[in-house]
Amino acid sequence: MYGRKGYQLLKDFASGEKGQLKPFNSKLFDETIEECDQNHHLLQSLIRKMQQEDLDVPNNRNADHYGALIHHLSLMRNKRCLMAYVYNRAEIVRDLAWRVGLELLDLPSEIQEKLTSLEKEYFKNHSVALKSYMGKVGIELNVDMVPPKDPYIKVRILDDIDEGIVLSDKTTNFARHSMHFLKRTDAEPYIARGQMEELTD
Amino acid sequence: MSKYYDIDDILVEEEYVPVLFHKRANGVTIDPSAETNCAEQGSKVEVPFWLAHELQLRQAVSINLPACFDQKTRLEVQADAAYVDLRSRCPYFYEFGCKLEPLVTDRTLGILLSTAFKIRYKEALTKVYTAAHITASKYLSFLTKEETNLYEAAHLSSTAFKKWKTCGRRLERASILGRKRKDSN
Repeated sequence: MYGRKGYQLLKDFASGEKGQLKPFNSKLFDETIEECDQNHHLLQSLIRKMQQEDLDVPNNRNADHYGALIHHLSLMRNKRCLMAYVYNRAEIVRDLAWRVGLELLDLPSEIQEKLTSLEKEYFKNHSVALKSYMGKVGIELNVDMVPPKDPYIKVRILDDIDEGIVLSDKTTNFARHSMHFLKRTDAEPYIARGQMEELTD
Repeated sequence: MSKYYDIDDILVEEEYVPVLFHKRANGVTIDPSAETNCAEQGSKVEVPFWLAHELQLRQAVSINLPACFDQKTRLEVQADAAYVDLRSRCPYFYEFGCKLEPLVTDRTLGILLSTAFKIRYKEALTKVYTAAHITASKYLSFLTKEETNLYEAAHLSSTAFKKWKTCGRRLERASILGRKRKDSN
């Protein structure tokens, strides 16, 4: 009652690592909405009681008014919690598109499990918007997130990648633990996803 | 207004404050000690800050200072501010105090907050550079959320500097993906 469920929802969100998602807590989300309904119901019954006593509802400040006020404030509080939950998750989804990759299937499966279908839709639409903007401007905006020093870097492959990946200058087979000398722009998306690592010596 | 979606702001406002009801409120179960379904005039109840703030704007309650800012804390801060366990008193000590300051009659709250912060901030920054992250863990459990954020920011910047000095890896796995889990095969 009185904003507890909204608070629990946000505590659940904040208990994850900063900047990372936990699975969408639909149970708590629905319980918060239920609490809002309860507050709304009690609010309406108090207002009806005031109307039955023939009191001027907006101006009369009696005990029922303050009770109705408290229910209204709790409802607004739960609303704020719900909106903040969805807003902050959407911010992380947008961040994923920039830092990891614009294709939904490029995301690791454990991240994909944590998103709801609506969030996946949001991710796809955001990627489409980014791609069309980058196409119109003519520059790829999501490469070179760190100021570049060399055009080529040495990498070691960490995960199994599909064979026969076509890079901008050659086709290679990436075996695990093998080392390659690649163009930085080609290797960057794989490093961001954790499938390769840069070797510095 | 710009903090509507801010999670920390919402969590700060959830802290409880003791209030004194000036008007009766019907149909609410806020007061656990009341037998009827209402809060009586003159009753003292603990409510969350967001509710107390709105009710005070409409002159239905008056807010008293919560226990985390009491005389015991003040004496401890005067004695040795750097090692007082503020997190157990209130994890959002400073933000909460700043929000309470214009609403309560106590004029010394602001001074308490600023002196405590000055001493503890200096201590936290010194700890980043002199103590290893593991040995400082007991000290870190005393820090409030705001101080922990500052400590972590300082720690991140000092590790980034060390990494830059030794020409470390520049392209990294995206931090948003979480920590790597080592594969068993």
